[in-house]
Amino acid sequence: MRKTSALLLSFVSIFFLAARADEFRFPLKSGSVRFAAIGDMGTGDTAQYEVAQRMVAARQNFPFEFVIMLGDNIYGGSTPRDFEKKFEVPYKPLLDAGVKFYASLGNHDNPNERFYKLFNMNEATYYTFKKGNVRFYVLDSNYLDAKQLDWLQKQLQDAGEGDWKICYFHHPLYSSGKTHGSSIELRSLIEPLFIKYGVDAVFSGHDHVYERLKPEKGIYYFVEGSSGQLRAGDLVKSSITDYGFDSDRTFMMIEITGDEMYFQTLSRAGNQVDSGVLRRPVRTPAPTK
Amino acid sequence: MQTKRRLRHASQAILLAAVLLLARAAIASGQNAPPTSPKEEAKNAEEFKEFLDRVQAYVNLHKTIASSLPALKPTALPEMIKAHEQALGRKIREARPHAKRGDMFSEKSQAAFRRAVRDEFRGLQGRLARKTIQQGEPLKEVHVRVNEPYADSLPFTTVPPTLLLRFPKLPDQVAYRIVGRDLILLDVEANLVIDSIHEIFPPAI
Repeated sequence: MRKTSALLLSFVSIFFLAARADEFRFPLKSGSVRFAAIGDMGTGDTAQYEVAQRMVAARQNFPFEFVIMLGDNIYGGSTPRDFEKKFEVPYKPLLDAGVKFYASLGNHDNPNERFYKLFNMNEATYYTFKKGNVRFYVLDSNYLDAKQLDWLQKQLQDAGEGDWKICYFHHPLYSSGKTHGSSIELRSLIEPLFIKYGVDAVFSGHDHVYERLKPEKGIYYFVEGSSGQLRAGDLVKSSITDYGFDSDRTFMMIEITGDEMYFQTLSRAGNQVDSGVLRRPVRTPAPTK
Repeated sequence: MQTKRRLRHASQAILLAAVLLLARAAIASGQNAPPTSPKEEAKNAEEFKEFLDRVQAYVNLHKTIASSLPALKPTALPEMIKAHEQALGRKIREARPHAKRGDMFSEKSQAAFRRAVRDEFRGLQGRLARKTIQQGEPLKEVHVRVNEPYADSLPFTTVPPTLLLRFPKLPDQVAYRIVGRDLILLDVEANLVIDSIHEIFPPAI
């Protein structure tokens, strides 16, 4: 029997804190990785600007260093005016403060966004980068071809065991959004790799809601597709939903320190939508014959 | 309501299990295409070869023209990106003034592409592929023209990944895209439609 690399996943603990925004406290530990997550934001509308302002305000208390973008970064065109109105102006205070943005592509994005320096894609539609003890894998889920699959497998294979592995891309593998829902075909191809190589958490957008899924096969999933767009009432909470919110725009803030991931999701109005601490799954290789 | 939801989840689970089996077989065998018979594979390889030769000739032209332009490096100036995209597209159009449908997708290769699409859209797998396209915001009542730019305001319909595994791999400069029921070949950097196959996809995707 061939060696199996199946992993036995056990969650030491998962606990969530139900708290108001002013009650949740990030540990702000030295050397921790601090970032924000936004998805489906690039509308150029007032709501996007209001979320951006809220991010600036939230950064006073939680100084995140970078932002991961879950796709649909620039809706409706890719002219210089589009970049200005839908990215540079709303996030100017963050950009001026040295916050870096790392973009993934959505179905509304021109792939030539990869040349835009402020998206830090380094000319690639899929890429990887590392911050502290976290390795990020950024995929182009709108065009997952054989080359990208091979690349992902190799990158995950070559990664060490010690780091957190976080993947993000536009289309959610799990979602209770009525409009789109789970991308089952995509899931069939990449979830086996996530499981085999120990991906810890996955962030996506596309459905214009916020949803935290129950861990699936030992992996934490988030849908954050309402940082500009919103489909109010689109979330049909189901057996896979742990928590969901679809009545206002949101963004997420995350701190990873050691084996713990602290997260807080705020609404455009500054109210806490969700928060908690996730412990990194302990993975024990399955016994082989 | 609860029962309906459970039924929906159960049917999704069955579909997923079927696709997982296919995908795992492809990944485990180290191949990137769903399994086909050796005879079929040989036929596809022959029919796709002509297409790939033509694509390679196009990519050579693309590279020659791109090398005559200032190299595009990551820039904080979106106008530089747009200017490069437009200049490259314009020069390629000028170099191929008579470009028309079928230049890349030869008759022979079209048959292979149509066969691949037909196989993809069969049965359980077909339902998933349709769902992927529907989730990827299909473009209806939109037609694009060969040798014209892909309209800047249009989204890119998600191409089912399992369909991509059936198609021949492309050089980085070009990509398959779906517009309505048409399959198009796009020069990604120039944002230029190079070729298309009309109504290759089944109705109501």
